[in-house]
Amino acid sequence: MSSTVLSLSNVSKRYGDFTAVNRINLSIPKGSVYGFLGPNGAGKTTTIRMILDIIRPDEGEIEVLGCKSAMQVRDRIGYLPEEKGLYKKMKVWAIISYFATLKGIHRKDAKLRAFELLEQYGLKDFANSTVESLSKGMGQKVQVLSSIAHNPELVILDEPFSGLDPVNQEVLEQLIRDLKNNGQTVIFSTHIMQHAERLCERLLLITQGSKVFDGTVDEARAIIPRRVILECQNDVMALADLEGVLSVSETFVGGEGRIPGTRQWELYVKEHTNPQLILQHCFQNGISLSRFDFTQTSLHDVFVHLVGQEAREHNFR
Amino acid sequence: MRVTLLIAWREYLENVKTKGFWIGVLLVPIVFFMIFHISTRLATATPTRYYLLIDQTGQYADSVETAIRREHQRRVMQDFMRYLQENRSDTANLAISNEPANQMDQLLDDFGNDEVAALDDWLSNGGLAFALQMARPYLRPDTPDFEEPRQQFIAAVPPPELDITAPAETIVETLRPFLKGEKRLQVGDNNVSLFALILIPAEVNNDIVRPMAAMGGLPADSGTRGVQYWAGNLTDTRLSNAIQTSINNAIRQQEYIDRNIDVNAVRDVQRTRLPVSRMDPGKVAGDEQVSVADTFRQWAPMGFVYLIFISLMQSVQYLLSNTIEEKSNRIIEVLLASVTPGELMMGKLLGIGATGITTILAWLASFFAFIQLYQTIETTMIVQILDVLLGSDLIPYFVFYYLCCYTLYAGIFLAIGSLCNTLKEAQSLMMPLMMVMMVPILTMSFIAQDPNGTMARVMSWIPLFTPFTMMNRAAAQPPMIDVVGTTVLLVVTTITVLWLSGRVFRQGILRTGQPPRIIELWRMLRRRST
Repeated sequence: MSSTVLSLSNVSKRYGDFTAVNRINLSIPKGSVYGFLGPNGAGKTTTIRMILDIIRPDEGEIEVLGCKSAMQVRDRIGYLPEEKGLYKKMKVWAIISYFATLKGIHRKDAKLRAFELLEQYGLKDFANSTVESLSKGMGQKVQVLSSIAHNPELVILDEPFSGLDPVNQEVLEQLIRDLKNNGQTVIFSTHIMQHAERLCERLLLITQGSKVFDGTVDEARAIIPRRVILECQNDVMALADLEGVLSVSETFVGGEGRIPGTRQWELYVKEHTNPQLILQHCFQNGISLSRFDFTQTSLHDVFVHLVGQEAREHNFR
Repeated sequence: MRVTLLIAWREYLENVKTKGFWIGVLLVPIVFFMIFHISTRLATATPTRYYLLIDQTGQYADSVETAIRREHQRRVMQDFMRYLQENRSDTANLAISNEPANQMDQLLDDFGNDEVAALDDWLSNGGLAFALQMARPYLRPDTPDFEEPRQQFIAAVPPPELDITAPAETIVETLRPFLKGEKRLQVGDNNVSLFALILIPAEVNNDIVRPMAAMGGLPADSGTRGVQYWAGNLTDTRLSNAIQTSINNAIRQQEYIDRNIDVNAVRDVQRTRLPVSRMDPGKVAGDEQVSVADTFRQWAPMGFVYLIFISLMQSVQYLLSNTIEEKSNRIIEVLLASVTPGELMMGKLLGIGATGITTILAWLASFFAFIQLYQTIETTMIVQILDVLLGSDLIPYFVFYYLCCYTLYAGIFLAIGSLCNTLKEAQSLMMPLMMVMMVPILTMSFIAQDPNGTMARVMSWIPLFTPFTMMNRAAAQPPMIDVVGTTVLLVVTTITVLWLSGRVFRQGILRTGQPPRIIELWRMLRRRST
């Protein structure tokens, strides 16, 4: 049965003249893995804080697990904040167990659960170490575990992958898949599109506080036309007349080692266009290609396409 | 409530599980007992000093030597009295006993009332030998032997090269290397350093100051007149004081004789005394005499004020550092997803409050352990004083004012902690509050002396000072209006401060960057939430 675990309607948050979040609408079905994407300062963390009722929205309604405030269902939510921190002097198992007890788990069960999780995710040997003796990445894993120790229905992870090495990123991806397989709903924000691509069923893309996209990964990919890159000595403007080709333009790339006279062309094609047609046309017209590049549109391209300009402007402001 | 207690328990464990906490807690009694021990044992620990007395007049040497011997006997007598009190078989109530029951008590009583007379009796009766014999029947069978204190000052023999009839300047020049420690004197088989030279020049009697002559004023070179006392050590004045007193006594004796006054009559007159009994009008008829314990009870509130202050200072450190740690580590955000800011604040308040109480209990426990293990006459007296205190009505006052004071200040400090990202930032915000906290400590002794005076009454009505001031006044039966009125005001203020601090805490705890300006703080106090 698919029901909604979280819904936001027309949620806004302002700090003085600055609008951090602007009229966001959102609905997240139970059991899904949902990605929050957006450039730095887009309003992801503010949105997450409002969902958790750490800060209150100026406008709009939020409903979490059927309640008006996350505080009412706080024992059913797990949260990993963007900026990670733990009590330095506490032992690893104790800190996981402490956060679980705060979420209503009995002390004995919390301790058992802490050891179980540490074993499951390869940290058993560190159970009795103090947090200050751990590396940054290790500490982050501990914090992730402490946010899920009470088996929450809704897990919100703010930038869970930042600071982790590739191996640990894989461990964390597995953890998110495990949560999903358990029927738990996961929301995570990230900058790294590959993670979102691999894990998410649905995405929210926000920039400057406003939603620019909300949908499945395939829907996101469909936003920008597919692209074919050609390199040859000829002019291929005529390809524009081919069925399914949206546009043809020449891109100028320099660089040493290129054969003199080589020109690069960028073709945008409709989503279901067969690239073989283009290849065939070139062959028939005696166009000798030195490069034919047809790639799947990546989420990265979508991200850059949708927020690239604004993000760049934001960063240099 | 469950969550608040969980937070409190974690805060408490985090503080009391550290070695630093226990080192800090135990350091206070250790330092206290060290000072106690050193001060009671300092007299015997002072090294023996060797002095050289050159009396060119031949009139004063005997007086000085007698005075130094007498000073030694006084110390023997003092030590003996302590020995007697510590080792007598009937130990009941000896420290505050007022009525002499036997010969030994008479001796102790004389000693307590007029030391000079007691010393005369001591010397005329034969000193230590007689006293030991007299006291023996009253001592416990396992009493150790009495150890006579070391002589503090011993006369040295002048070096052979010194001509004691030479002019003062020559003598000083000859002895200067000895006084500066460059050369050492031979005393018996030992090489010793010369502590002081007392030089009484031949014509010293010309320098005697008499009231009539003094009216014309002293000559400009008065510094080098009279008896010359040469010593590199300027802080140990016992020898120079003894010499000044003994020589002046000798001169006065001579003056009495010159003026035909009976010396013994003068001495008798000087020793005539009328005792002053201190009575307390508040006590039951027939029992009005003020005892040591009564006096102590009047001063005890000051001790409690100190205890509140020291414990508060310790708690403030924890309140600030723990809040700032959570803020700067960003643990706060995870916590706030699990608990409300109000629960977090109350948890901290309770946890650190329990730490403070643990500290006080640990101090008391170490204090009791100390007086059990280290029994001397002073500690026996402390035990009696503690009995008085614990049996008095001051304890409930202390508990009440301690809790109110802690809650009031903790609320404010938690709010400050929530606004700061580093301890450095917190220090500048704390400064004004620290100054406020110093006021009751600086005025403490004035209030103890005049507990129902204007200053005490005014300060009692200022809630930040109420716990300290009212605690200080607790033993002096302040007017009912003060007790009830200030208590109501204090409780209301504490609740208001907690409520307002809660607002600041809620908003401050997620703040990053600089601490807020006054105007922003004002907005925070007025706004309900972020």
